[in-house]
Amino acid sequence: MTNTQAVQAEGLSKRYGELTAVDAISVQVAQGEVYGMLGPNGAGKTTFLRMLFGLIRPDAGVLEVFGRSWDRDGTAILDGVAGFIESPRFYPYLSGRRNLQLLAGLDGGAAAGLIEEVLDVVDLTGRESEKVAGYSFGMRQRLGVAASLLREPRLLVLDEPANGLDPAGIRDMRALVQRLASSGLTVLLSSHDMDEVEQICDNVTIMKRGSVAYHGTIARLREQAPPQAHLLRTSDDPAALELARQRPGLAVTATDGQLALRGTQAAVDLYITTLVRAGLSLRSLTLGEAPLEALFFMLTESSTDAVPDALTHSGQEARR
Amino acid sequence: MSAQPLTDLAGSPAAPRQSAGHRAAARPRSAGTWAAYRWELVKLAALVRTRAMLIGVLVVPPLVVLALQGQRAPADTLFGRHVHDSGFALPLLLLGFATQYVFPLLTSVVAGDIFASEDQHGTWKTLLTRSVSRTQIFWAKTLAAITFAAAVLILLTASTVASSVAIIGRQPLTGLSGQSIGAASATGLVLAAWASTAAPLLGFTALAIVLSVRTRNPSLGVVGPVVLGLLMSLVGSLGGTGWLRRALLSTPLEAWHGLFTATPFYGPLIQGIGVCLAWTAVCLFFAYTSLRRRDITGG
Repeated sequence: MTNTQAVQAEGLSKRYGELTAVDAISVQVAQGEVYGMLGPNGAGKTTFLRMLFGLIRPDAGVLEVFGRSWDRDGTAILDGVAGFIESPRFYPYLSGRRNLQLLAGLDGGAAAGLIEEVLDVVDLTGRESEKVAGYSFGMRQRLGVAASLLREPRLLVLDEPANGLDPAGIRDMRALVQRLASSGLTVLLSSHDMDEVEQICDNVTIMKRGSVAYHGTIARLREQAPPQAHLLRTSDDPAALELARQRPGLAVTATDGQLALRGTQAAVDLYITTLVRAGLSLRSLTLGEAPLEALFFMLTESSTDAVPDALTHSGQEARR
Repeated sequence: MSAQPLTDLAGSPAAPRQSAGHRAAARPRSAGTWAAYRWELVKLAALVRTRAMLIGVLVVPPLVVLALQGQRAPADTLFGRHVHDSGFALPLLLLGFATQYVFPLLTSVVAGDIFASEDQHGTWKTLLTRSVSRTQIFWAKTLAAITFAAAVLILLTASTVASSVAIIGRQPLTGLSGQSIGAASATGLVLAAWASTAAPLLGFTALAIVLSVRTRNPSLGVVGPVVLGLLMSLVGSLGGTGWLRRALLSTPLEAWHGLFTATPFYGPLIQGIGVCLAWTAVCLFFAYTSLRRRDITGG
């Protein structure tokens, strides 16, 4: 490994008329790490990846991949880089194998046996002679991964690889990505699923409307996440809310006809006991969104006031 | 998921992918225009409509010759009155017919679709995330479209002339000035007449390419050149020999008439080649710059 970053973007911007799709973002992906780009639809993740692959040109900023840039090195920037943007697309009138042969041909040819090897890795052996038109969505996603592996990449870029897959497909795709990552590949994974990124990635950039809302480690993000919320309905919510305000270490808010409790498990247990002793009936008690997921929504949907100071600072740093 | 390869990937960081990465560093990652061109031909060969068209241009002319044999000669068309007298007249009759709209259609079926189909299938991002540049892809596709147009012209010429001569015979041809042209000269002139359409065919191919790139719509790419060709023919038929008529892409398709007069004149042929090359250059320039500057935001 050298000190060269796998991806180094600084002040990268892209505008479409009045719309700023990506607003002066900076991203660094170190070699060998599994890096997540997280954000809701329209946050600018795919626009960033399109700029990385040269499909669109940035209006401002610098983008280097393994120390190479589009302006200086042309398509050589993609040496050792592979992946797909949104859902991978192929020629439907050709077989899976023929598609892979075609794409390998555009890379100067594949080493002997490599096509069979990658078909095996993505579990398409036996289906490779069928036309892609007959493939399921999940099979096309896996063929996309196979087409990427054909390039024998050092950096694998996957844009929402589990998007549109059924639960079993999502499980298989995540397992595949984790195994690829554990082989030493640098992986840049774009997703709108916090759970997926949390399971796979070491570092993450969270994007919001073209800007970086957070940039740092998953561990640091986890530290800043609010406690797990409990959602509660009672026979008398105003009275329950009043009781909650008297209890230290417990934050309660009334939303959508229910109460959201945040605090330690002991504080929640004690509060519920208090409610019952006060003669209030519990109508329902469920777990709210996971802490990281809650933080993700805070970062991407709320105003900056709701976001922990430590995290807003990280976003401003990444923007610079 | 197959367990074994995934276990390999997970279990041994140095094994397949990692070593593959080292191979990538050692092996040059450049395919170039010719590799892309070769694969464009493979893609074309896999399309049913492409194969059907090539078979069609081989099979249809003999059927037309046979069908015309049993009918009264179309005396009101160029060389029509002589179709039963000489096997060299019918290819010229068919050439006159083909230049109206068949040639633009034959070439635009591929050229009008070859760029736009990437938009239709969403495969631009698949192609352009490999080791080929937009410039290489552009020239590969352009060459493939020209190759197809040339193949269509050669097969159609060969099929028409061979079937006509075989079925009707090698009798002398009556020229446009009423002169008799011997079989040997007639063969050369008929082949030259068909070959003269290569330049306008190139122009129509380039026109279809620019429509394919700009509209990103295969239907418009295919139909556009046919409609524009008909409009040009209409404008050209309004009379006059002014600069507008000379500048039309459809006019050189009729330049071969000068080969069949008692005193041949080649001016329209030479002028037509210049006009077609100008159309080709302008269309390809706009197509190339459009593709180079384009943001690939969809396919």
